[in-house]
Amino acid sequence: MSENRRPVLPARQVLTRTALGLSGWVALAATALPGGTPLRWSPVLLFVCFGPGLALLYPQSGPLRPGARLEAAALAAPLGLSLAVTVATSLFLVEAFSGTAFLVSLAALTTLASALPGLPLPAATRGAVERTPAAPARRR
Amino acid sequence: MPQHVPAPVGESTAGSAQPAPPTGQPDAVPPEPARRLPGAPRPRTLLTWLPLLLAAALWISSLPHIGFRSMGEYGLLDRLPVTYYLSLLLLTAGFLVSLRRAGTAPWWPASYCAGLLMALKGVPAVLYDSERYPWASKHDAVIDHLLANGELRPDEGLSGNMSAYDQWPGFFTLNGGLVRAFGADSAAAYLNWAPVVLGLLMMPVLLLIYRTFSEDRRLVWTAVWIFQLANWVGQDYLAPQGLGFLLHLAVLAVVVRHFVRPGSAGQLRSRACLDPAAAAVPPPTGVRQRAVCAVVLVPVIVAVNAVHQLTPVMLCVTLLALCLTRRYRNLGLLAVAGAIMLAWDLTMGRPLFMETLGTLRDSLGELTQNSRAGYAGQLTGAGPELAGRASILMVLAVAALAGAALLLRRRLAHSALPLLLASVAPVPLFVVNDYGGEMLFRVYLFALPGAAFFAAAALVPAVGGTGAHRVRPSVRRAGAVALPVTLAALLAGFMPAYYGKERMNYTPPAETALVTRAIDRAPEGALILATTGSFPKALHRYDRLEHWFFAEQELPENTEMLKDPAGYLSTRLPPGTTAYVILTRTQDIYTAGEGLLPPGGFASLTRDLAASPLFHVVERTGHGVVLRYDSP
Repeated sequence: MSENRRPVLPARQVLTRTALGLSGWVALAATALPGGTPLRWSPVLLFVCFGPGLALLYPQSGPLRPGARLEAAALAAPLGLSLAVTVATSLFLVEAFSGTAFLVSLAALTTLASALPGLPLPAATRGAVERTPAAPARRR
Repeated sequence: MPQHVPAPVGESTAGSAQPAPPTGQPDAVPPEPARRLPGAPRPRTLLTWLPLLLAAALWISSLPHIGFRSMGEYGLLDRLPVTYYLSLLLLTAGFLVSLRRAGTAPWWPASYCAGLLMALKGVPAVLYDSERYPWASKHDAVIDHLLANGELRPDEGLSGNMSAYDQWPGFFTLNGGLVRAFGADSAAAYLNWAPVVLGLLMMPVLLLIYRTFSEDRRLVWTAVWIFQLANWVGQDYLAPQGLGFLLHLAVLAVVVRHFVRPGSAGQLRSRACLDPAAAAVPPPTGVRQRAVCAVVLVPVIVAVNAVHQLTPVMLCVTLLALCLTRRYRNLGLLAVAGAIMLAWDLTMGRPLFMETLGTLRDSLGELTQNSRAGYAGQLTGAGPELAGRASILMVLAVAALAGAALLLRRRLAHSALPLLLASVAPVPLFVVNDYGGEMLFRVYLFALPGAAFFAAAALVPAVGGTGAHRVRPSVRRAGAVALPVTLAALLAGFMPAYYGKERMNYTPPAETALVTRAIDRAPEGALILATTGSFPKALHRYDRLEHWFFAEQELPENTEMLKDPAGYLSTRLPPGTTAYVILTRTQDIYTAGEGLLPPGGFASLTRDLAASPLFHVVERTGHGVVLRYDSP
């Protein structure tokens, strides 16, 4: 595909963003299943661990440095769990905690984040001047 | 994951390698071998996946033969069948083979590392029919307490400083959310899986940190492997420390990758000045970019503070240590982390923070006291003593290996200096406080990521060096022998260090049921007496009861207590007290193993209390006895 025909958002990226945006609501829907069943806890666990973090970190714009995707994958869980900790603690502080409130807050946050560009971690997207020569098209 | 190929390894023995080809094309894949018969398996490929498959089969087949219900003095060690140990050796062998292709096929060492984690720490998760480790059971009680109350009460002043869990509640509120969302009765449904889940989440973060300092994938994966073997310290159960440590590592990873100051790398920008295995310094970032990054890190740092009281201190001292380098002198980030910590300590954590400040005068500078392990007592019995010796040997082995790397690979130590500083940074905390006899273990845990990296550097010789930097063949040959031998030795050390005291950690469900019945029976405000808090459900309904774990003191004091336990206890109980004494099998094992009571002490205590007219037996089963004391 030539450069001028490339869509604003590649189909794969749209698909990933959509999946991330919906992941929280899928986890919420899974809570309608009987308690403790794998079909219930596995989507919830995956969402809480990775959903918000991946939605925040993905996608990074521009050419990626080696390791940038690993970085997004590695930091997704700590970032997502940090948000989950903050959300759950805040809900307890305002005495509004419930499993549904916890998941709805995280799902809404994830949907919002998936519609926005990834967090600007500078060294993830910048070309390392020491090693990676800039592409000819980008030289000025 | 982009496949950066800095140091593909040739056909040599694991641990050694042929010099690498030029790495001008980072994402290049090595050419396929010239020709082979269609359908014929390549021996190298076969050797890569077959050990994993065989190890998994052996591990699974060993599970039904693990006699965890009948553990003796050596914990799980002599209850694990030969097939289990064979599976560990096969995993090690397969991992060593997979290292040859670590640059081009990282999923193989990754699979082996995940396999090792599961093989080492998955046994209790798969087999145990009760909560492993009494402290995890306490954390389960905290989650139940929060869910029952639906609010945080940091100022409630509960017995035994239990309000601290409401002051740093992040881990428990998160688990409250999970319990509700899973539809589980309590965290007991999943808490035995915490070491596996936390280990899996930690692995890519470690990888990220190690890759920032080394391009040699063999070194990087070996470091991950060594970290797992050396992580016997048992801080990965369902506890705030496990999550706090993961978040701490995530902050460290972001800092070392995104907070390099412009113009600070100096000679490290020159490949000639770097160890052949070293990675180039990450690209520098401007003030604005670093400020944005600090903002990105704020939620993680807030969560670190919400989760745990010690980890923010570790984080701040680590950031402070990094400021000693020109590369990572980010005072702004240190100020942000310090400000968040102070804000939390002075608001939510104020009661315990002020109390700790009050005791600092006594603990400051008490190096010997602060670095002791546990409350009091000496490990007693074959299993606990073996576990203690193995733990010390493991610490010494990792420290010796890391020290050797610092001497032998000085250029790598120079470029990875931030990682070294991050590892050394927590050590001075011995000066400050003993953290309830836990400081030794926590300092070790926080020092481990860097120590594992340098230990791996001592074992995996560089490839690709030229001229003066060329690695001598004899060094490669030594590495080829040292690596498998050391990994096998560390594996041998891990097992007793982690499972040598396992009898203290496994509790039969019948004992848990006995304790639960006893505590449910106790009226509000009653006092629960036990020799130690290390038994299941010890803190069930803790917000409605008082607790006194009367043998958690020095042995001479306990010897005095054993002369007349009924008199000792009754004279120390306030008038009008209704007390329940709970004495269980797990307490017996713990007090004997940790040296809190002399041999036979627990039995004589139980006998004397049961015979005393001051106490009467409420319930007695094969797992323990419950006595009631009514103040005259």
